[in-house]
Amino acid sequence: MTPHSASPCSASETMHLTEDQFGQLLSQPVGIRTSETSAAEAHLLACEQCAAELAGLRDSLSLFRQASTTYANNELRNLPPMQLPARPAHTLAVQPAYWATAAAAVILAFLPMQALRQHSFQPAPAVAASVADRTVQTEDEALLNDVDTEISASVPTPMLALADPAGVASGSLDSSVPTSTQRKD
Amino acid sequence: MVPDNIQTFPSTSLTLGAGARTTPLDDLETVVALYQPRVFRFLLANLRDRDAAETLTQETFLRAWTARDTFREDCSVATWLIRIALNLARDHTRTGRFRFWKHIAASAVDVDEVAANIPNREGSAESQLIAQEQVKLIWQTVADLSPRQRTIFLLRFLEEMEIPEIATVTGLPLGTVKSHLYRALNIIRTRHTPQKETV
Repeated sequence: MTPHSASPCSASETMHLTEDQFGQLLSQPVGIRTSETSAAEAHLLACEQCAAELAGLRDSLSLFRQASTTYANNELRNLPPMQLPARPAHTLAVQPAYWATAAAAVILAFLPMQALRQHSFQPAPAVAASVADRTVQTEDEALLNDVDTEISASVPTPMLALADPAGVASGSLDSSVPTSTQRKD
Repeated sequence: MVPDNIQTFPSTSLTLGAGARTTPLDDLETVVALYQPRVFRFLLANLRDRDAAETLTQETFLRAWTARDTFREDCSVATWLIRIALNLARDHTRTGRFRFWKHIAASAVDVDEVAANIPNREGSAESQLIAQEQVKLIWQTVADLSPRQRTIFLLRFLEEMEIPEIATVTGLPLGTVKSHLYRALNIIRTRHTPQKETV
């Protein structure tokens, strides 16, 4: 890339460095010459205006850096100290201990669950047995009640028909006992 | 007694087991002492907010510490840290909340304060004032650059990184980095220098 004017720049000439040439010259460290900037460097030797502009920009950029750096350093001094992690989050030396702890925690968590599961399986037959026992006991009690009723009755149930042939006392007639009307029929 | 396969770092008392790869980031205290000013400076100039710069600086070192096993040393620690800081800054500025609070943040950087930090130069008080005005002008112009231009400009002229290093940090091709840098410089030059007559 060459300046707009191939010939050395005089005071009357208005051809100057291009935007990219300024960029290249400003971006590289001062005093370092490359093939890309050789034409621009040659132009600067002849063009005072471009040389002055470049020097002014370099000076301003340097001031910008110095001021920003000093300002940031002052601000940093006013900040509280940074909180650093006291211990490594996961170094390899810590990892075995971590995994052992995790495994122990898992085992400890599963042991009661396993025990609980065993308990929950065992009571099932016991519950069934207790339900059956309760049923038998109820039946037994009912049977005993019936026996008691039978014993305490003045006339046994099979003898009721003989004791009250008309069924008046009981108020109800056994269908198995024929009535006088039936006999007539 | 420390076994042979355990390496102890006295500054942070960190221990690495056998087979653990040591990285320059294992000694976090030293890393912070060396690079915190640089990371903070970059974030402060980029975000222009003291609180955000402080928070993200801390976050940068925590991320670097957490991910230190992935550091392959194919670039310098500074480059790696600035890369993390840049990603954090990018994520931070993407949020609408940042854009809103940016305008009213109490911790926003004051340009006058920055300009007041120029070194004393030999010469008159007038030249000192002119220098301060130049710094203010550049600081304000940098704020108006696009985020990418601003980042690349700051990496070059504040952090003094070479263009290939900037390409590594930003993940952009060299040509793109140059293109953004030249455009940024042209904007600054246009405001800095009265326009010349060109044919």
